[in-house]
Amino acid sequence: MTSAATIRQRTRSLSGSIVTFTIALVVAIPVLVIVWSIVQPSTDVWRELWATRLPGMIGDTATLLVTVVAGTVVLGTSLAWLVTAYQFPGRGLLGSLLVAPLAIPGYVLGFVWLDALQAPLGARQVRSIWLCALVLTLTLYPYVYLFARAAFREQSQRVVDVARSLGCSRTAAFRRVVLPMARPSIAGGAALVGMEVLTDVGTVRLFNVSTVADGVLRVWFGTGDRNAAAELSVLLIGVALLLIAGERLLRGRARYTQSGTTVGLHVHRLSGSSALVATVAGWSVFATAVAIPIIRLIAWANEARRTSQTTTVAGDLPFHLLSSLRMAAVATIACLGLGVLLVTGLDRRRASGAVVARLATLGYAVPGPVVAIGVLVTLAALDRSGWLPADWILVGSVAGLVYALVVRFLAVAYQGIDASVGKVSPSMVASARTLGAGRFRVATRVELPLAAAGVLAAAVLVAIDTLKELPITLLLRPFGTETLPIWVWQATSESLWVQAAVPSLAIVALGMVLVGVLLWTLERGAETVS
Amino acid sequence: MIHKHTRQRMTGLAVGALTLAACGSDTTPSDADGTVGPTPDAGTVTVYTGRHYGIEPVFEAFTADTGIEVRFTTGNDPELRERLVVEGTNTPADVLMTADASNAELASSAAVLAVVDSATLAEAIPAELRTDEWFSLSRRARVIISSPERVTDPPTTYAGVGDPEWQGRICLRPSTHPYTQSLVASLIVAEGEERATEIVQSWVDRDPLYINSDTDIYQAVADGECDIAIANTYYLGRLLTEDPEFPVEIVWPEQDGNGAHVNVSTAAVTRYAPNPDGALALIEWLATDGQKAFADANFEYPADPTVEPDPTVAAWGEFVADVVAVKQLGEFQPTAIEILSATGYE
Repeated sequence: MTSAATIRQRTRSLSGSIVTFTIALVVAIPVLVIVWSIVQPSTDVWRELWATRLPGMIGDTATLLVTVVAGTVVLGTSLAWLVTAYQFPGRGLLGSLLVAPLAIPGYVLGFVWLDALQAPLGARQVRSIWLCALVLTLTLYPYVYLFARAAFREQSQRVVDVARSLGCSRTAAFRRVVLPMARPSIAGGAALVGMEVLTDVGTVRLFNVSTVADGVLRVWFGTGDRNAAAELSVLLIGVALLLIAGERLLRGRARYTQSGTTVGLHVHRLSGSSALVATVAGWSVFATAVAIPIIRLIAWANEARRTSQTTTVAGDLPFHLLSSLRMAAVATIACLGLGVLLVTGLDRRRASGAVVARLATLGYAVPGPVVAIGVLVTLAALDRSGWLPADWILVGSVAGLVYALVVRFLAVAYQGIDASVGKVSPSMVASARTLGAGRFRVATRVELPLAAAGVLAAAVLVAIDTLKELPITLLLRPFGTETLPIWVWQATSESLWVQAAVPSLAIVALGMVLVGVLLWTLERGAETVS
Repeated sequence: MIHKHTRQRMTGLAVGALTLAACGSDTTPSDADGTVGPTPDAGTVTVYTGRHYGIEPVFEAFTADTGIEVRFTTGNDPELRERLVVEGTNTPADVLMTADASNAELASSAAVLAVVDSATLAEAIPAELRTDEWFSLSRRARVIISSPERVTDPPTTYAGVGDPEWQGRICLRPSTHPYTQSLVASLIVAEGEERATEIVQSWVDRDPLYINSDTDIYQAVADGECDIAIANTYYLGRLLTEDPEFPVEIVWPEQDGNGAHVNVSTAAVTRYAPNPDGALALIEWLATDGQKAFADANFEYPADPTVEPDPTVAAWGEFVADVVAVKQLGEFQPTAIEILSATGYE
């Protein structure tokens, strides 16, 4: 028996599906344009690559991927556990400051440490894949740290008590109960880290590390063979999809929801030497990843001012700052809006929903320069198609640039929103549906208000990402948009590290403000939940 | 600051962007505020430039001289070329400036440059440094540099850099950089593919230290990380400005043969330039009145040999330059990249 209400609901969910599918498709087109290139493989280029550089590229990429993912998981999880489960002097402040590396672009941390270690280690030793992995670990561990800390905070002492009563030691309880329950969150963070490592093209080149992403640029810029470069990036998309599959596998079918009032984990007070060790360990990570680089940048900025070197590279701070802020704001609003539409419109339990979500978030698995060229080709084709009103040119327009940033970063917004909406108790959603509310009504009246903190956190992450973004802005920016990373690029591509200090500091400062907002949101979110 | 428009309205744009992505159709922010579309007026020249060091003051001087405004966007040469190709007739760019000859030649092969007939340019720029599409504006030499403290008898040919005595003592720029690629292309022109491969192989066999920055290469020679290296001269100009005693010496290579490898900065009118007259005016000005300022901004040699280089540059003395190879660098770049890959050059 089909009631009128059910039919209405089905129509609604159909229109929802059409909206989400259209969004996903439009966002995926530039990536699909790239993927399409494998239809006509450039076999000559592949043969030559395979005989020369490709094995090395794959080796370097694999090494970097494994070490950085492992490094961030170990560092992020243990720091999160340290600040959640133990009390020691400065714990609260440290807990917040450990998120700060998010604000520092990998290429900035890279050139600061490259320069600092050149003298003691020697120019040859400093350019190594291990140092590159260390730099990437230090910039990327906050992804794991944030997720792990949130997961630890949500856990209940009762579960640990039960484990202890069954004879587990403190360590065993952590290993056998706390850690497995946090596993999905840690895996989620690790998957993000993996994507960042795969698509990095700025940091690796500083250290002479030749990854597949770097190879894409090498082939494309060196030979002008866009097709071969595109095929190489399909390899990256493949690895990224494997990463996502791995994360899903690790997460398994498990869903850990806790019911009833939660009693947070007991905090163990450290004293004497163990307190000292904890304090030193935590603060030294902060010093290496944040404090020392910032001090170094400030010293360079002073030097640049003293020698008035800033005049040689277009250095108008307010102008660049405004450009960056404007781009980040518009791109964030766009990503957030589309992310909300996707999350609320998609039925995640259906296979089709998962496919649409994957389609919409493909761009995150592709290096920035490749997204840039995919968007360029797509928009230019549209510009020449005659479908647009006369005088409308998308290439080099603000809309074109925002579109490209959405293609690249929608995944960040989507994952964040999806994760927090996913935590809303299914029984609440079911109640609302039973009362006749459609999917969008449930989303706007129940899910999103409950997940507000998570949505805001996703927005901040997108803003930080767009603020640091270089290759897409570089190729697609309109005249008059000169962001801070472009200033950094103009200086560093001429090896003028000192002149790159002022814009780098500005990026870091803006990023810090955003990280502050992120922390505030998360704290507030935590309060609302408990 | 030259003509940097900052007149977009945010809310409108956000909405525009959202609808664009949401509907997959043809929505773009209103043209009313002039943010999209080709060159706004005939008094403006639009430049895509892969050379971005010190160009802004030069463009400002051009505007002061002629009243023609310049707006420009910087980028990587291959990306700017790609953009010109896909934009086709819609391009807003009047002028393409590249930081090396290969990229100018590749743009020419991609059919995005216009043929220009200019008596002014023919007179100012030597025939070896121009085609009928692109024109060199400045020259730079890629030379052997050495530490005067540790090296008494530096090599005088590019092949000599690969001699066994330099085992573990060389610094080179990685193969990803166009400077390395065009140097190898020039070796192919001068010595043939087989000999060029041998030379590159001998460098690789010396276990060089690869540093992706000429400035850092100079610094490495000064610091004793390596004793000899191959680098561009103009970086020394910058370093000498900061420290007149900078302890690195230039050796002009191949002075008994084809001369030192030179590459050029170029400019060309684009094929679909909305303002070709303005474009030509800019290039002609850069080749004449602006020649000295353009070259001096970066301690390069003016393309017009009658124009004096900067005193710092002039102090390095006269040298034989391999100008014959300049127009062939683009043609041999793909082979150069193959050689670099095959020999295991990083």
